[in-house]
Formats: sequence, C-alpha cells, structure tokens
Amino acid sequence: MSLEQVTKADRPATDDDAMLVRVQREDFSIDEELTRVRRRSKRIGGIATFLGTARDRSKGKDVDGITFEHYEGMAQKKLREIRERAIKDFGVIEVLVLHRYGEITIGENIVLIIAAAEHRAEAFRACQWAIDELKQITPIWKLEHTPEGEVWVEEHP
Amino acid sequence: MVTIQLFGMTKMLAGNRGTLSLSLHDGKRVKDLVSVIDAAYPKIGELLQKKKVLVSVNQEIAHEDLEVKDGDEIALLPPFAGGNR
Repeated sequence: MSLEQVTKADRPATDDDAMLVRVQREDFSIDEELTRVRRRSKRIGGIATFLGTARDRSKGKDVDGITFEHYEGMAQKKLREIRERAIKDFGVIEVLVLHRYGEITIGENIVLIIAAAEHRAEAFRACQWAIDELKQITPIWKLEHTPEGEVWVEEHP
Repeated sequence: MVTIQLFGMTKMLAGNRGTLSLSLHDGKRVKDLVSVIDAAYPKIGELLQKKKVLVSVNQEIAHEDLEVKDGDEIALLPPFAGGNR
C-alpha cells in the first residue's frame, strides 16, 4: 500500500471537522450529512435533526423566493462556536451545522442542524439550542422576493 | 483610511456599495467611526444610533469605545434574519 493510500484510509479528507460546519451555495443531502455524523462515533444512540426550508408566505405576504447573504469568515466562525458550545454544554457527541447562501427556491433546504448523543434528551436540547443560537448570533441575512418587491427581513424570535 | 464591509440593508442604503472607505480624523474609536458614517450616510447613522445596525471589528461585535487599528476588519451588521420560530 502506498503512503498516499494509507493517509486516505486513516483520515478521509471529506470527514474532517471543517465538513461539520459549512456555509455553502449548493443544496445538501440530509442522508449524506447524517452518515457523516454517524461515522464519528459508535457511542451515538440518538440523533435529533432540524431542517429549515423556504416557505412561500411571510407575515401574511406571498414570497416567490429568498436570497441569503452571509459575512464570509464571521459566519463560519460563529457556526464553529455554536458547534463547540453545543458539544461542551449539552454533553452531546457530535453536532453538524450547515447553512446555504445565495438564491433559494421555495421549498428548498436552507439550514440543517444535526445533534448526535448517547440518548435522545440531550440530542433534542442541543439541536433546539443550536438553531435558536444560530438565528441570534450568525451574520446571515435574508432577502425575500415578493410580488411587491424585495424586502430584507429583520425579525427573529 | 478604513474600509468597512456592508451587508443586507446597509448595502442598499449606501447605494448598493459593498464597502465604504472613510477617513477618521477626530478619534479612532468605534463611536468616532459611527459619527463619520452618520455625517455621510444619515440613514445608516440612524440605524447605528438605535443599535439596529451593529459594528463588528475583526469578526466580533464591537463596543463603541473600542479603538480601531490599521488593518482591522470592520463591518456593519444589520439585524440577523433567521426567520420566526
């Protein structure tokens, strides 16, 4: 076996920490992301996921599409902080945080949180905390395209 | 001269510019920067005064007394929009 093959087998390039926190334009596969998280540990016994998708109504108005803008660098930094704090504070085994940017069609995936733990209770808690925290501290902005024009959305819970 | 990155509605309010280049003459704190922006772009200035738009320095939200240094990465951050719960 060549040195290159040994290195690839030991540490697949697609499976490092960077893949567990991403801001990307392209859509993602929930199955592939679940597989990525499950591979991290055989101790995992419960996985909670949150998937945010683009809906066609906002504050009683029709929405035709959404564009997400992000602050490159700071957005990734905040998502890394969320992953690290979720693992540390909630005692979960692994957390994946993924957010798309660019133009999103109604019905498409926007954001995915996966929290994997030994048991379901901490997985649910970490997952809910991570999506709430993401909305509070991550520099990502949403432009809704409506029949009346484009609106930068500024509310969060 | 400092360069400030703009996002979302602040970009729109600055005439769809992605960055602003400003000279700081009277003080180099974040609040001095806010005063300069207020003079040049009153609509953005108003949002900064109301704390609806925040200033970040080196990818962290900055206090108004923080001193801005050469080479710092500065940005104006409008309200983050995660959507309703």
